[in-house]
Amino acid sequence: MRKYLPVVVSLIFVGIAAYVVVNKKSEHKQIKESSIQEKRTNIIGRFSKQKSCATSPRFLKEKKIPQPVIIDLSQKHYKGIALHYGKGFKQTLHLKQWEQFEHFSTYAVDKKGNMYLVPTPFISIIPTTFNLQKNLYKLDSNTGKVSIFMHFYDVYPSASNPYGLTAITYDCDDDTLWIATIDESDYTSQKGVVYHIDPKTKEILQKVEGFDVLSMTLLKSDKGKFLLVGSARDNGLYAYPILNNILEDKVIKLLELPNANEHIRKIKIIANNQLELQSIPFSYTLIAQTAKQDRLIYNVTWNPNLRKWLSTTL
Amino acid sequence: MTKEIKLSIGIVTIATFVMLVYWFMPIENEIDFRENRASAKEEKVILPQYEKSDYQNIPSVKAYLSELKGLIKEGKSILPLPSKELDSNAQKVQDLLLENTEFLKDTKQGETLLHNDMMRILPAIISSMDAKTQKVCQKSNCYQAEKYNFVTNVTTRAIVDVKNMKVLTIEQYPNMQPDISLRLTRIAQDIALYAPEVKKELGFTPRKKDITMANVRGSMKESPCENTTHLCVAPTFTDHKKEQALWAVVDLTELRFAAAKWAGLGKTTTPACISERSLQNRHIMKNYCQKDTVLEKDDWKITYRLTGSDGLEIRDVTFRGKKVLKSAKIVDWHVSYKQKGAQNLDTTTQTYIEGREVEYIRGENDTFMFGYNDAMGCPMFSTSVVLPFNGPQVKELYTSNGFMLTQDFRNPKWPMACNYRYENRFEFYDDGSFRVIGVNKGRGCGDNALYRPVMRIDMDIDKKERFWNMKDGSWQAKIEEFKEKVPNIKPYAYKISSSQSENKGYYIESNYGQFHDNSRGDNARIFVTKFAKNEGDQDFLTLGSCCEVEEEGVERYIDENVSIEAEDLVVWYVPHIYNDTKEGHEYCWADTFIGDDGNARIKVWPCTVGPRFIPIKGEE
Repeated sequence: MRKYLPVVVSLIFVGIAAYVVVNKKSEHKQIKESSIQEKRTNIIGRFSKQKSCATSPRFLKEKKIPQPVIIDLSQKHYKGIALHYGKGFKQTLHLKQWEQFEHFSTYAVDKKGNMYLVPTPFISIIPTTFNLQKNLYKLDSNTGKVSIFMHFYDVYPSASNPYGLTAITYDCDDDTLWIATIDESDYTSQKGVVYHIDPKTKEILQKVEGFDVLSMTLLKSDKGKFLLVGSARDNGLYAYPILNNILEDKVIKLLELPNANEHIRKIKIIANNQLELQSIPFSYTLIAQTAKQDRLIYNVTWNPNLRKWLSTTL
Repeated sequence: MTKEIKLSIGIVTIATFVMLVYWFMPIENEIDFRENRASAKEEKVILPQYEKSDYQNIPSVKAYLSELKGLIKEGKSILPLPSKELDSNAQKVQDLLLENTEFLKDTKQGETLLHNDMMRILPAIISSMDAKTQKVCQKSNCYQAEKYNFVTNVTTRAIVDVKNMKVLTIEQYPNMQPDISLRLTRIAQDIALYAPEVKKELGFTPRKKDITMANVRGSMKESPCENTTHLCVAPTFTDHKKEQALWAVVDLTELRFAAAKWAGLGKTTTPACISERSLQNRHIMKNYCQKDTVLEKDDWKITYRLTGSDGLEIRDVTFRGKKVLKSAKIVDWHVSYKQKGAQNLDTTTQTYIEGREVEYIRGENDTFMFGYNDAMGCPMFSTSVVLPFNGPQVKELYTSNGFMLTQDFRNPKWPMACNYRYENRFEFYDDGSFRVIGVNKGRGCGDNALYRPVMRIDMDIDKKERFWNMKDGSWQAKIEEFKEKVPNIKPYAYKISSSQSENKGYYIESNYGQFHDNSRGDNARIFVTKFAKNEGDQDFLTLGSCCEVEEEGVERYIDENVSIEAEDLVVWYVPHIYNDTKEGHEYCWADTFIGDDGNARIKVWPCTVGPRFIPIKGEE
């Protein structure tokens, strides 16, 4: 029996070594996972409300429309766009020409007062609906006319997903636009695209695929610059880090709304470390309710000490 | 060196190599969120199969409702917390608040009392107080009380200084739900335990000890109901062995089981992921939009599916093995309203009513019609605006001579004004006859509404068919595509048959109120066209004008001189239904009222239309 002792000893040694290696690796994995989690939850850092670089469209001055003006894209009473102004915002400016491209869902305004408008299908489909979703529109600051600013040839809305362009934001740092499309997505896969566009040349500077964006805004914090996006697919708020004006191809989940059917349609930075999130039920079908009162509003605050998002609503 | 030593060295060398390879293998935790989601376990969704009234016999629910009715009868509207849920201070706070006019101010609508529950009374939490109140409460003993208004979906929170018996603050939170009382927790558990759908899914009769009651609303309080204006919770049954849990959503406003889902026990399955609406959407998409379902019942075999914008469609229907229908569906509901004042009508700019763009058509006698088209279809990735609820259902007919296949479509805010609810229904009878039915349940934008469901019925009697109308007491074959108002000829104005045999086919019996469903008749227009693939066999986006009352949209498929003799035929049938809002005569209408328990109730006056197809008894 003694002659087998080296074999037994080697087996015991191998067993102990294997146990130690597996445990050590598991610990290492946990540490790595927790640091990733930490990195994710803490990625945004502290942020504050930024002053917008947007200016009022110049044609309003010519028309002697006083500031402030409410931009109405609710489609409740006016097709396209309407501007409310005056005492109690009871006066309305709505031009017939602004109805030419049907309905809009959101907008961004640049330093010169040009307004970029994102289309939306609304309640009923007409023969032109799908084609209209392929364009980004511009309300010219000087003339006050709405026209097609950019046509996206690779955007194909259809009966099984009537949406094309869905979100927009203006980058005051380099005078560029961030735009999202969701037309290629279907029930099983999300193939949304985020475009970075130079409005001067209409050149596409970057294209990031694979995520359906319903709303977006830019945020600067002590940890860097981010594109915050509300998902069309679920009830989450996500962030894309931006490094040297390049969007990292990795989207990070920040929080999710309590109701799975609510999707974030508008993101506003309202105070230090505080966001207002406006949500709607969204399922890639036609929408009938678009006014602010049809939305749920959540105020959420990033608590850097707790490293947690807190609701300040109730 | 002995053989054994060589073997030992070999074992150690190989093991060391294997361990080194294992150690340097990459850890797969650089998760791309998109990949992570794509690989998430598929979740099974269970939708309710039983009526709300089934749950009202549960003893705790019955006692709760009875107590509510008694309370309302006494002229009160807040169900207080029982003393066993309160300490002595909380009891004093409750007594104080039940007399406080500010706290009670939203408990009435006019003279009608609304159901409110006191939900919890506990020592005040610092995050619930503003700075001023915090200051007071640092020196005193403060409690917070929360009540919930089930009708308006408003939570009211009061902070009370117990030492001085003084109400410090009262805040109202619209569209917010509080944490629920122990009593409601028990009721939610009882409903989940009673629900036959839950028992069936678990495979055993669960007991209270099997439930874990999650803090369903998390840090941001909201409801997981389909309807965010309801108070919902999600009792959970955990199966640790299978590492999954059944989340049962209970609607405490309606006191019923709302939906359930099986989900893993992982971090992603937080209660926030549960919403009756989103569960329904996923279930309906997976089971009825992405694939056909085959129903074999009695002597019928029916394939059915939900379309993108043409509602529920039945296809390839057979009776006792014989072909009956290729396809039947309601492709659109034209909705229009008649108003006076056409002369003063300004149509230079677009008009919207409750967010819907409306179309105007001038009529006679200073009247005009306005309205829009509503498409019904899949709840996701479609062009529908009136969405399906709870998937297609198979139900027995109350006359016990057949069954129905039915699908409920609703605007989420129905029965609020300018929101709609439609039912697509197909009835199949034991004698081989069937009926294509559209049901309108209001509410629409008001009176003088005209509803026109456009039904497309593609029969499968033979490769070549003939269409006949009754004229002067005898059947005459129609020669060309046509449109006409359905005449008042009983029992049958039309029949459709094989081109080979006049006796192989179906009579078409229009509805003039004889079907015992309180219908006021179809008052329909009929079209017969030669089959063409691009004329509605696939999904229609829209079909015609909402408001040209003499045009149904099908006219575009009627061509002159196109023969329908011995052709593959399609029947289009368009009932005209006028709604009625006069008290006691309501029709195509729905209304909300407060019941004797202080809760909101919906009353529906449906209008049911559609023809019945009866086999011609002759040649078998």
